Amino acid sequence: MVVKKTIVVENLKYRYPNTSKLALDSISFSVDEGQFVGIVGKNLAGKSTLCEALVGLVPHFYKGAYGGKVVVDGVEVLNSSIGEMARHIGIVFQNPFTQITAAKLTVYEEIAFGLENLGMDRVEMVKRIDYVLDLLGLYDFKDRNPFELSGGQMQRLAIAGIIAMKPTVIVLDEPTSQLDPQGSEEVFKAVQRLSKEGVTIVMVEQKMEKIAQYADKVMLISEGKMIDFDSPQKLFSREDLENFGVEPPVFTTIAKKLNVKDETTGLYPVTIDEARRLFSL
Amino acid sequence: MARALSLYVETNTFLQKLDPMVKLLYILLSILLPFLILPYRVVGLTFILISCLLLLYGKVFKKVLPLLGFSFLILISIVIIQGLFMQSNRTPAFTIDGLTFYKEGLLYAWTLCIRVLDVLLAFALLVLTTRPSDLIQSLVKRGLSPRFGYVLSSALQIIPQMMSEVGSIMDAQRSRGLETEGNLWTRLKAFVPLIGPVVMSSLLETRERAMALEVRGFSAIGKKTFLFDTEMTLLDKILEWVLGILLLISIIVRIVWL
Amino acid sequence: MNLVDVKNVSFAYSENNFVLQNISFSLQKGSVAIIGQNGSGKTTLVKLLKGLLKPKVGDVFIKGINTKDTTAAKLAKTVGLVFQNPNDQIFKNKVLDEVMFGPLNIGQSVDEARENALRALEIVSLTEKSQENPYDLSLSERKLISIASILSMNTDIVIFDEPTIAQDCWGKTRVKDIVRLLVSAGKLVITITHDMDFVGECFERVIVLNKGKLLLDGSAKDVFSQEDVLSAAYLEPPYITQLCHQLHYDEVFLSPESFISYYESHRQKKETNDAKH
Repeated sequence: MVVKKTIVVENLKYRYPNTSKLALDSISFSVDEGQFVGIVGKNLAGKSTLCEALVGLVPHFYKGAYGGKVVVDGVEVLNSSIGEMARHIGIVFQNPFTQITAAKLTVYEEIAFGLENLGMDRVEMVKRIDYVLDLLGLYDFKDRNPFELSGGQMQRLAIAGIIAMKPTVIVLDEPTSQLDPQGSEEVFKAVQRLSKEGVTIVMVEQKMEKIAQYADKVMLISEGKMIDFDSPQKLFSREDLENFGVEPPVFTTIAKKLNVKDETTGLYPVTIDEARRLFSL
Repeated sequence: MARALSLYVETNTFLQKLDPMVKLLYILLSILLPFLILPYRVVGLTFILISCLLLLYGKVFKKVLPLLGFSFLILISIVIIQGLFMQSNRTPAFTIDGLTFYKEGLLYAWTLCIRVLDVLLAFALLVLTTRPSDLIQSLVKRGLSPRFGYVLSSALQIIPQMMSEVGSIMDAQRSRGLETEGNLWTRLKAFVPLIGPVVMSSLLETRERAMALEVRGFSAIGKKTFLFDTEMTLLDKILEWVLGILLLISIIVRIVWL
Repeated sequence: MNLVDVKNVSFAYSENNFVLQNISFSLQKGSVAIIGQNGSGKTTLVKLLKGLLKPKVGDVFIKGINTKDTTAAKLAKTVGLVFQNPNDQIFKNKVLDEVMFGPLNIGQSVDEARENALRALEIVSLTEKSQENPYDLSLSERKLISIASILSMNTDIVIFDEPTIAQDCWGKTRVKDIVRLLVSAGKLVITITHDMDFVGECFERVIVLNKGKLLLDGSAKDVFSQEDVLSAAYLEPPYITQLCHQLHYDEVFLSPESFISYYESHRQKKETNDAKH
């Protein structure tokens, strides 16, 4: 059976207006439907720019010089508007607070915002809102004012507002970086559920232990270039990782120092379960 | 936690369920009729009476009292100034402590008071019994630009949020040795370090929010729908027609009269 | 004399709704992490230490001075507090000016302030950005600038509110280095944080708050070995410590370095044992 490619990026180059350096430089890759992809790299490496290019904010919102091709769910981003792309791909940003529209007084109405913009039929709207409230565990908060939620709940609300629009792909740009551990855990659990529902996930994250635990594949980006795109085990086992400003999961770090590898694969452990198996004396 | 800026009181009377357009029409009538129809003062007083009765019925009369209290201060000063000093003052009415009040001035002040109270109460009726979002939505449905509608409704929530942010900015600057209390000069000097971060962070937030709105199809072409698309009830429609015809008749009457 | 004395402190924002109850501890120079889930009262406690809030019950003494007898602005000479969101404080359009703002406020001369500011920028590795506009820099760089703007005031006590949030691996390493540097310079460093790996690597003492009460107070090692108590407060020890627990080690480790040396010595022991048999 041929697996559908939900994202195909070919030789993508991009430069922000009034800058001289390429923010994205000759990036090519593809993602299978339903895959969970992690993106890692240091600050300003181009991770966020790549996310913005997937949803069409680059180039439609920022303008600037653009080359190459991004096709999501069969639609070429360059020939489509951000509004149209919303039916195919959604994005969740770092700051939960600024993703609240502020125009709605309840969680329930907040989720409807995107659906109203797409001109959706009201019966269908109500159905979808009920579905995402349940999927993201927000049912008990449906009548609350969005600003009265905790960070983790707000971020789940942002995800709900996107998922209600039924995109095939959801991009999350460091969604937990401003949350406490409980809030991050809530968000990771929610993303895991989406992944099980078959949504393709692209997630930028600084917490490598989490990426190792959840992602099927990890992409390493440095100075606008894609350095590697492989399984977490293979990618984090790279000996030159630190050169790109990325520290692997702590389990991998100690395994590298102690030279503890999985004998069959020749790779270092990346999760606590793998580490426990390899470190027991 | 800061809430949305709103004076809306949920009391579930028919006033709350009434279409906001009907209430807007009522405001229009209460402003125009006392100018168009003679006897002005009687018409104005009638509107004041109707508004008071409606406010009482809507269980929001108590909320108007502080507003009335404040406006009385201004109204009294109008009475005093016009009663004493209006140019066309001829006929003395009464004298207190050697100050003579004139009939013409008092009558003029009385007319002004009626108009002010009339408009004030009509607006109170709208503001106290209508959710701001409902009002904006019904305006958007009747052709107001959705962008402008968004700006109006988001401002109601973002302004209180900004106020709470000012609190943390104040803490941050005091922690760096900035005195925010004391004489006027100290307070003026503290202004820039306080307002700077407020402006910068709201600019940053506005940009982030603009992106978040875009990816939720804010600029999508095509007709928008509304989650709570309440149809106008029969009562709404009847009232809208009645008020509209009333307005039309009084304009015609006025023109014919002159 | 203790740098900080907190004596039977309780605090409520509104009548009888206490967010902190009967907290007492003393701090000398060194490093202390205050941990606890959201709503545990961490931020309130820090604001009390900084004099931004005054206790409803009990007293807070900073170098023997009761915070009730002074203002937050006056305390700025002794206590520096780095807020979580740098955007709440940055208002100058040049990095250097921003970092000089605090020193000038507490009465340093312009030359002195510039010297201290440049030294602080060097510590956070942003010397070459000193002439740039802070809002042209990334959020994590702005965070380091807000740290520098406190370090330049050269206070005996430095408090950090979530310094590792929104930092990449480079930024986190900077923050860890800064904490170690301050401790070795004889200062008291206090942090509130959710980042347990950061606590494990950099802090000697840990105070755990739960629902406004002091749950645990002790050395990092002691606190993190009490996994049951921590999980009741919805906290998890550092990943390394979790691994030690899962491997049923009788000793816990808080940093990769200590784990590595323990593992290596045991591996050698095991190898020599195996060789004997």
